[in-house]
Amino acid sequence: MTIPTSVSSMFSQRLDMPLTAKLLEKTAAPGQVASGQAATGQVQSHDFVSMLGQGVSEVNSLQQQSTQSVNEMLTGGDVQPAEVFASVQKADMAFRMLLQVRNKLMQAYEEVNAIRI
Amino acid sequence: MFSALDVSTSALVAQRIRLNTISGNIANMSSIQNENGEAKPYQARYPIFQTDENMVGPEGMAGVKVASVETEDKEPNYRYQPEHPLAVKEGKWKGYVAYPSINLNEQFVDALESTRSYEANLGVMEISKNMGRQSLSILA
Repeated sequence: MTIPTSVSSMFSQRLDMPLTAKLLEKTAAPGQVASGQAATGQVQSHDFVSMLGQGVSEVNSLQQQSTQSVNEMLTGGDVQPAEVFASVQKADMAFRMLLQVRNKLMQAYEEVNAIRI
Repeated sequence: MFSALDVSTSALVAQRIRLNTISGNIANMSSIQNENGEAKPYQARYPIFQTDENMVGPEGMAGVKVASVETEDKEPNYRYQPEHPLAVKEGKWKGYVAYPSINLNEQFVDALESTRSYEANLGVMEISKNMGRQSLSILA
């Protein structure tokens, strides 16, 4: 549960366009470019961040569901093992997908970061 | 993406219930008293499977659920045991004891079918799992 939250904070920080603009300002001397980036970025960033946040919270709720059902099964509750395993698998797949998206974004960020201006 | 897994899970749960009723049928194949202590032989129970209306998706997939578990109404298997305390006292079957008429072969064939179906659904789950995992490699 802690991992998705940290990922989400990482995402929101990373995709917070003012922060990106700051980063750009650090590397790029002309302020005009940076502010222009920030302006165009902010329009789209809101959608993207909320979409990503939604994905993260979905993964989180799937993981919480699976933890809950596993706890229920281990404490002798009346649950079908198949359901428990399926929910664990679903949480695992969702997390893997989120991780891949995160990796891709980080890769894109690294590449942008490597641009010399 | 996960709906395929959910549908397969519903089938697993349904088949598990079916296997449970079959094990109950086999366990009670010599029960000559019902759960209230009356001298009525056990009657086999069979689950009725139904398409789950809460799990019908736009993609045409549909889950399965157990609508009800029905009790069979079959003529008992009478054996002549006049000394038996539960023997029928009067009428046509005087001196006979009513035993359940459960056909073991039928039950085992049902159990086999149920197990095969369980395995088939596990196979489908494996395939959907692999599909999900493999699509991730597009991004990687």
